Amino acid sequence: MLRNTVSRGARGFATAAKSSQKNIVMVDGIRLPFAMQSTIYNDLLAVDLQRLALKSLLTKTALDPAMVDYVLCGTVIQETKTSNIAREASMGAGIPLSVPSHTVTQACISSSVAICTAAEKIMAGQADVVIAGGVETFSDVPIRFSRKVRQKLIGAPKAMKKGPAGIAGLLKGLKPGDLAPEAPAIANFTTGEVMGVSSDRLSAKFGVSREEMDHFTVRSHSNAAKAHEANWYDGEVMPFNGSNSENGIKPSTYEKVSSLNPAFVKPYGTHTAANSSFLTDGASASLIMSEEKALELGFKPKSYIRDWAFVACDPFEELLLGPTYGAKKCLDSMNLTMDDIGVFEIHEAFAGQVLSNLTAMNSQTFADQRFNGKKVGEIDQSKMNTKGGSLSLGHPFGATGSRLVSTASNRLQREEQRFALLAACADGGLGHAAILERYDN
Amino acid sequence: MLRRSLRQTVNRLARTNSAAASRAVQRSVQRSVSTKKTLNVGSTGRSFSAAPAASKPDVSKFFKPVEVTDSGVAIVRLDGPKAMNTISFEFSAAAKEMWSTEIAPRSDVKSVVFISAKKDNFIAGADIQDIKNMEDKTQLLPIIEDGIEFFKDMKSKKIPMVCAINGPALGGGLEWALWCDYRVCSDSSKTKMGLPEVKLGLLPGFGGTQNLFPLVGVQGAMDMMLTGKDIRPAKAKKMGLVDLVVSEHQLEHAAIRAAEDLASGKIKVKIPRKPKSWMAWGIEDTPPGQSKMWETINKMVMKNTNGVYPAPFAIIECVKEGLKSNDMDARYKFEREKFAELAATNESASLIGIFDGMTSLKKHSFGEPKHETKNIAVLGAGLMGAGIAQISAEKGYRVLLKDKEDEGLAKGEAYINGNWEKKKKRKTMTMHKYNQNTANIVPLSDNTESWKQHFSQADLVIEAVFEDIDLKHRVVKEIEEVTPDHCVFATNTSAIPIADIAKASKRPEQLVGMHYFSPVPQMPLLEIIPHAGTSDLTTAAAYNVGTKQGKTCIAVKDVPGFYVNRCLGPFLVEVSALAKDGAGLELLDKAMLDFGMPVGPVTLADEVGIDVSNKVASFLSNADLGVRMTGGDISLMGEMVEKGWLGRKTGQGFYTYDGKKKTISAEVKQYAKDFADRDLGLTEEDVQNRIVSRFVNEAVMCLQDEIIADPVNGDIGLIFGTGFAPFRGGPFRYLDTYGIDKYVAMMNGFAEKMGPQFEPCQLMKDMAASGKKFHGPNSAAGM
Repeated sequence: MLRNTVSRGARGFATAAKSSQKNIVMVDGIRLPFAMQSTIYNDLLAVDLQRLALKSLLTKTALDPAMVDYVLCGTVIQETKTSNIAREASMGAGIPLSVPSHTVTQACISSSVAICTAAEKIMAGQADVVIAGGVETFSDVPIRFSRKVRQKLIGAPKAMKKGPAGIAGLLKGLKPGDLAPEAPAIANFTTGEVMGVSSDRLSAKFGVSREEMDHFTVRSHSNAAKAHEANWYDGEVMPFNGSNSENGIKPSTYEKVSSLNPAFVKPYGTHTAANSSFLTDGASASLIMSEEKALELGFKPKSYIRDWAFVACDPFEELLLGPTYGAKKCLDSMNLTMDDIGVFEIHEAFAGQVLSNLTAMNSQTFADQRFNGKKVGEIDQSKMNTKGGSLSLGHPFGATGSRLVSTASNRLQREEQRFALLAACADGGLGHAAILERYDN
Repeated sequence: MLRRSLRQTVNRLARTNSAAASRAVQRSVQRSVSTKKTLNVGSTGRSFSAAPAASKPDVSKFFKPVEVTDSGVAIVRLDGPKAMNTISFEFSAAAKEMWSTEIAPRSDVKSVVFISAKKDNFIAGADIQDIKNMEDKTQLLPIIEDGIEFFKDMKSKKIPMVCAINGPALGGGLEWALWCDYRVCSDSSKTKMGLPEVKLGLLPGFGGTQNLFPLVGVQGAMDMMLTGKDIRPAKAKKMGLVDLVVSEHQLEHAAIRAAEDLASGKIKVKIPRKPKSWMAWGIEDTPPGQSKMWETINKMVMKNTNGVYPAPFAIIECVKEGLKSNDMDARYKFEREKFAELAATNESASLIGIFDGMTSLKKHSFGEPKHETKNIAVLGAGLMGAGIAQISAEKGYRVLLKDKEDEGLAKGEAYINGNWEKKKKRKTMTMHKYNQNTANIVPLSDNTESWKQHFSQADLVIEAVFEDIDLKHRVVKEIEEVTPDHCVFATNTSAIPIADIAKASKRPEQLVGMHYFSPVPQMPLLEIIPHAGTSDLTTAAAYNVGTKQGKTCIAVKDVPGFYVNRCLGPFLVEVSALAKDGAGLELLDKAMLDFGMPVGPVTLADEVGIDVSNKVASFLSNADLGVRMTGGDISLMGEMVEKGWLGRKTGQGFYTYDGKKKTISAEVKQYAKDFADRDLGLTEEDVQNRIVSRFVNEAVMCLQDEIIADPVNGDIGLIFGTGFAPFRGGPFRYLDTYGIDKYVAMMNGFAEKMGPQFEPCQLMKDMAASGKKFHGPNSAAGM
């Protein structure tokens, strides 16, 4: 009886919400220059990077910080002192202390989650102005004692009370090897597999060659370099210490790239240091609002966030194939085809991973197996990642999702396209896709 | 180890010392003048016994009714009639009455807690006017003695006394706390404890010099008393000044519990609280350590004050006396005699004058602006602009820092952040405050599309762009386009008349000069320059901002050089004249240092930059000072600019700089020699009188021409703007002390010998003739 009432009530509410569903707009987005590990951000904490990104967004948009309803940030490798990094960064960026904030984590799509959660908050009527961002630093990661030593240290205060005997007992059973520190690994917890190895296998499965990967890599760097040379990123990449150049972009030749040895699967693997994204420090932030609020405050939004999907697949076999599933879901739900999309922004974790996804999307066999025979479609590469991608710009795990939204929105505006498709893979077999529509001002 | 600790002490004590002249200017001011808002004189000058015989003291005016708890804790709540508790004549009498009627006779009182009923202060100090107004300072002796008797009387009841401190406990307030057995303070950011008497040329006269060092050690005590600095709760706990730090909400509860536990014997306290470290023992309690310590402290005092202030030496003597003798009464007597001696010195009168001046200059009579300034835009992120942005952001203003280029902007931000990083490292700034400050700075360049949107929120714009009238006009026009109608436009020019800049403005009544001194974060003065068409409310807005930025503001008429630089013009010319007359560079520096300037003129020129000094001098030579800019030859500096000897910044000015060392090279010596026409064999006194008389005459000239409002503005302006010997109290007080008639006679002598540039101005001659003084009851102020 009770359940019936509740569900009826819930249904009633859902219908009501749908009819008055708010349009979600991306007003503006920025990132700090992405930089190779231990370079320009060597002395900063992740929270500092996020703080600077939030501050830069406020400067860029001239939004009164008191107007912010909520702050969401994504991050992956957490500094335990700032486990709710969104809160610390928000307070440090001059956003009033009365504005709540929380941190989300979903591997490489963490800031995608932050942005979509922002959208969901707005749709649920919980907020109208949300800043969503993300951050990662590899210049400082929590390198820990081994579990053995940690156990001993946790037990130490109790043991000390027993005097010398207690202290002696503490040291018992410790081997010299236990003293070696542990650094976090870019490997999946459940499968135990390093991501490069997973991607290497996926590429083999979809028949992507080393040659294709290396060409794709060269293209990524060349696109990124051209975009920066043309000052295309001015206003999107905010200056840090007076410069917005990004130091991971290394235009190179195919010959050079193809001369590298495999980095993960040796000796005959295909993934190298060049065609895999590098460890990157960086932070990003996007200003997400309901359309009516944005207009009320006099903003000119860049895009509507029309649809989004978070998907998951088998991490043992298809760890990085999420983009294919996500894209499928979004296109179907919006009733669009690849031909309707004018801007593609696909996260480049590995050249092989992107190309595998492109192959899967356009493979009839794969469609027969997974999608009842209906292919996702073919992505026109001339519209994809034309301003560089994670291979060249870099990939700070927590920050990339927001970068995709910003760049896609700016491309929609400048290239006068209607729809953009974003897609990204993430550790754990997760995937994300979203569809943006240009906002006509 | 001993050496290291000593060095640390010295470093700590000598933190106010720096080679940089401009810093030294500010330092010397800080050293000698309290820059704190509260009136914080150590000891009251009023009598405890000389209560008015006629009426009984009104205890209820200063104290809430004493409460006694079941456990026998008497809670004494201080609650004076003003927002801040201060020690005054009436208060003292009431305290004595309160004790003798409500505590002394009661046998059920087992312990006492002193606490303030105010939200945010314990005792902020004592009324300085008492000492100032007392003609014969020896009258202070019985008054202080009576105060000491009162404290001894409280002690003689032999019950534990606990002092609970929230907010400032300064001077006499802290001395009161030191007579207690136990001190609890709150961890509030408002809580600070200190003995700032030295800043007024005095010493802590209510037992402070005797009661502090046993508790915190000689090194800690000297640090507090010689610098007058505030001690914050955490530091106070660490050094033993307080026993317990709690939140302000727990303060009373903790104090009562401590009083109970002291009475029951559950807590026992020793002095000092902890056994001294071996190092501290070695330094403070062994003859060789002590002699080294005193040597170091003396050296430090000499270095910081050039030995011209008597108070630090008197404090040292008191502590030395305290270490020698066990006779407390004799020690307190020694202390109060020294106090009375200091109170009678010109130095103390000067410092008190500066303190009073600063206090009076916090207020102005230009009215209350309609719009409260919240957002300040600063144009130009160079050294000046960045400095202005820094001090504004620190005080909570949102600062729109705008430069043309991202690079220039980044440099400005780096300068500001660097200054804050240093504070963070020294732990004088928390990480959160650092973040808040940086968040208050909104960096904007021409590349920032939204800069105009930001500027639409600006309440005050301060431009610090290049000194070029066309550029300034362009900036005024461009900015007025994007700022709201109420926005005030301030220009930080030092060379262009404000009225000329205002010609480009469509709202000239909202345009005003705000002349900061470099480096802005350190220099305490701000000249506010309304032009003839500036509205009073505009001046008021600028004045309010300057005061909140922590600057002492003086309003100055719109004339070339305004006030400070105008006075420096003849000064600089005379330096070149002296060089012509064969005065060596070292002599010039030494003479002025000995006069009490924080740096000599030669070093000053190097520090400011020879090019900048030259510019000021030639600018003023072409201005309206006429004969007063003659007599010298400023090509002395002009030629150096051509040679690229630009001062410290290039490593070569008058001095040659090698790291921290500076020497005069043979080449410069030859240059100076070639420049000289003759060698008059000038003495240090000649140099002092010739330079200072031109300087001081110009100051009086400014008063005569109503460029400054009164001698207080004039004194503060030159002390804070140029470091004019603070112990001399500024040019006007200096003339008062020297004797205006004598000074006029001296200048007339110079004029006869060297020319009309030395002729004293009309006002000075009039004052000499009438026998009036600039300050004091016979002053001519307000003419």
